Amino acid sequence: MIAAQGRRLAGPLRGYFRRMKTLAISQLARTVGLSRSTLLYYDRIGLLKPSGRTGSGYRYYSEQSYGRLKRIRHFREAGLTLNEIREVLQSGGKPGVKLLDKRMQETAASIVDLKNQQRILAAMRRRIATSGSSAPVDKELWVQMLQAAGMNRRARKLWHTEFERRAPAAHDEFLMSLGIPREEVIQIRRWSRGETKNPEV
Amino acid sequence: MKNNVTKDEWVAMYREIGLDEKKMKQWHQLFEARHPDGHQGFLEWLRIPKKEIDHIRAASR
Repeated sequence: MIAAQGRRLAGPLRGYFRRMKTLAISQLARTVGLSRSTLLYYDRIGLLKPSGRTGSGYRYYSEQSYGRLKRIRHFREAGLTLNEIREVLQSGGKPGVKLLDKRMQETAASIVDLKNQQRILAAMRRRIATSGSSAPVDKELWVQMLQAAGMNRRARKLWHTEFERRAPAAHDEFLMSLGIPREEVIQIRRWSRGETKNPEV
Repeated sequence: MKNNVTKDEWVAMYREIGLDEKKMKQWHQLFEARHPDGHQGFLEWLRIPKKEIDHIRAASR
């Protein structure tokens, strides 16, 4: 069994297994870059049992366990939970389409979350970048002041339209200086050009 | 394309959309009363010289 699997192993370890047949827990941990306590935990939850115990009670792992651990690690990298991995390994070792699709959906959702975080961070960063040099006025304050001057939504739209028509670059810079996120600035400018209906301003 | 407008252009824009002198003055007063830092920042953004900014702000109080 060990000899048969040995063909798939990388150089030094194959030689090692041929000579020694088994690895101690800390050796295995070091080999795959996990901690000893992780392997103990895997044992406790029945994910990776040692091949046996020595006379003095130390766990030892065969080449087969090593192969199983490598697969566990691979599934972990794909984001499967330990429970899911255990089920996969119990039922033939191949994850089902349903499980893979679920993980794909989860990763897609995480990407959306991360992009959102990125957007928020970039907006915060921009505020810092512009706070020293330009108006310490934000969108809310600005709209409030325009309202105070008697500018209703229609008048504000007119103002944006004029600003965009007369000095598009200055319009852009002014909106950015209010700390408005890039995408929103683009939206506002499109709306100012009458390209979209977007009564957000 | 320049990426800033002058005070005159700004005023012209405001006139165009129907804000008269009185309204503009009222707007400065409000801005100065409620958010003096914002007022200062906005006038600086228009690249109005410091002396003139001081003048505008004093007149708005």
